[in-house]
Amino acid sequence: MSEQALIIEDDEDLADIFAEALRGVGYEVEHIADGKLAENRLNTGIAPFIILLDMHLPHVSGADLLTSIKRDGRFEKTTIIITTADARMGDMYQEQADFVLIKPISFVQLRDITARLKPK
Amino acid sequence: MKQFFDSILNVAVPDPDDARRRRLLNILLLGNTVAVLLGVLAILITALTSEQLNEPDTRILIIGIFASTLGLMGIYQVNRRFSGRWAALLYLLFLNLIFAFTDSPDQLSNGRSLFLFTIPIAISSLILIPEASFLFAVIGGGIVGGLALSINQPINLFSLIGFLMLALVSWLSARSLEIALKDLRAINANLDQEVIDRTQALSASLDRERIEAGRNQAILNSIADGVIVFDKKWNATLANPAIKSILDLPLELIINKNFRELIEHPKLAAKSRGLLYAMIEHDTQPMGFRIIWGEKTISVSAAQVYDNREDNTNIGTVTVFRDFTREAEVEKLKSTFVAIVSHELRTPLNAILGYAEMFKEAVYGPMNDKQVNMSDRIMKNTQRLLGLINDLLDQAQMEAGKLTIQIAPLKPAELLDTLHGLMDKTASDKRLRLTSEIDDDLPETLIGDSARLQQILVNLVTNAIKFTDQGEVCVRLLRADDAKWGIEVEDTGQGIPASDIPFIFDTFRQVEGATTRVHGGFGLGLAIVKQLVTLMSGDIKVESTIDVGTKFVISLPLVIP
Repeated sequence: MSEQALIIEDDEDLADIFAEALRGVGYEVEHIADGKLAENRLNTGIAPFIILLDMHLPHVSGADLLTSIKRDGRFEKTTIIITTADARMGDMYQEQADFVLIKPISFVQLRDITARLKPK
Repeated sequence: MKQFFDSILNVAVPDPDDARRRRLLNILLLGNTVAVLLGVLAILITALTSEQLNEPDTRILIIGIFASTLGLMGIYQVNRRFSGRWAALLYLLFLNLIFAFTDSPDQLSNGRSLFLFTIPIAISSLILIPEASFLFAVIGGGIVGGLALSINQPINLFSLIGFLMLALVSWLSARSLEIALKDLRAINANLDQEVIDRTQALSASLDRERIEAGRNQAILNSIADGVIVFDKKWNATLANPAIKSILDLPLELIINKNFRELIEHPKLAAKSRGLLYAMIEHDTQPMGFRIIWGEKTISVSAAQVYDNREDNTNIGTVTVFRDFTREAEVEKLKSTFVAIVSHELRTPLNAILGYAEMFKEAVYGPMNDKQVNMSDRIMKNTQRLLGLINDLLDQAQMEAGKLTIQIAPLKPAELLDTLHGLMDKTASDKRLRLTSEIDDDLPETLIGDSARLQQILVNLVTNAIKFTDQGEVCVRLLRADDAKWGIEVEDTGQGIPASDIPFIFDTFRQVEGATTRVHGGFGLGLAIVKQLVTLMSGDIKVESTIDVGTKFVISLPLVIP
């Protein structure tokens, strides 16, 4: 069974590129474009292997999602990768996330990182 | 009484010596007149008791007394109206004449009345001139001698010598008196001048102060900033009209109140309260900060006032309140704008970059060389556009004063590793070598802002690669001395004309328009480097030779953890 990856990103094109990178290394990818929807989905009991979280989201911000994810024991083993265009914001979340990627995020870079994370 | 005597004794003349002598003469005349009148009284009483009124001697005496009184009054009139000198001369001659008839020639020339002739000698040096004592010694001597001869007696030479000695003493003492008086007058005159000068200076300085005060008041009344002047205990002693509209408070609620009352005003935001309390509790140097007052943002700056006459004691504080609401809004808009631009521009560029990479990586099937090359070009151009956006955003932040330096321990070697990771490919794409050296003396760990130092290195190396067509770009990290470390970036490029060196750190500028077209660069990289170095309290220099190369040398304060 392949590992599950949840992409929370409001830009369809970026979500497409990220999804392609992750699928390329064998993840099963789910994409959500809205903060509120993401919040609901996270409360359904899923425990993805990777969450790719954009900080700039409609309705519920990435920061709020991050806080609730960190609070929830179910996501203890989940690798959290934050994506943001704001380098300063990146510094702020360095502690809470496993990776902080500053946009522009390279397809190759994301593919290589997530490939390394994948259990052999 | 004194005024009465002054009015009959004083003679108003400009020469103070003359006035003094004439007053003295008047006193003598008055004394003489009183003596004469007492004499008349004595004669009358004697005559009434002994009935000798018809005696011829007594008659002569009475006539003499009347003549004397008339003479004295005449001299008084001369003294008052005509000349002090003549009056004195007349008086002295008159005295000598009277004395010559007061006693028998025998007694006058060689007996009890001889001393009478010393009186005019002593007086003359005081009421005429000091040297006049000699004249009256001679006159007195002449009279005494004449009287002696008239009665066939020998002339009393000792008395004549005595007269001359007395004349000498009178002359000397009168002369000393006059010299002393003259000196005193000179001193007084100086003193008067001094008083006049001082008074004028004081009045001039008072005038200046009044003008200054008027001007200051006009300035205070006309400026748009609100000003409150506080004394040492933070009681408001002065406030200008503008403060009313800035704080929306009547002046009565500001002037003569303690600043603490203003700080406790409900309009002041709670978070601003601490700032103002900090200002009044710590007597620090001039400062500026912002407070929220109702709907307004107000910038407050304060300067302490020192008394520069007394060892610079603090005598109060001048605070200036400026309505900063609009500026604060603009700043906030700018900041929001920068954040939006940052996000909105980077996101689509990221998509372009990502899709181009996917082409290149042949995600959707194999690509021919031409297609791979095109994806490369798309990526390169997108990267360039991203670089420009980053530079513009940095510049905007720097202009807004938002770019700050965040220091932490860092390893210089890691800076170079990251630099190679980022720039090696760019250099090798242009067939240039990117080399780096690190000084053995440089501490393994030092304090600095690694992200900003990295940015400086990337900007300088990008620049060096851009302007170098063959050879190498060398980066050196070195220890300059005990207190400084440095970064050097040297290339073997085209060099910068000396005339352009002063401008290379300017915003939006590149040497010569033509260069812009060849290299497609943008002049922000160096401007940002310069500003970052300045923010780090460092200093940047450039050495360049045309067609040989350019070397940027940055010197930074060395802080070891």
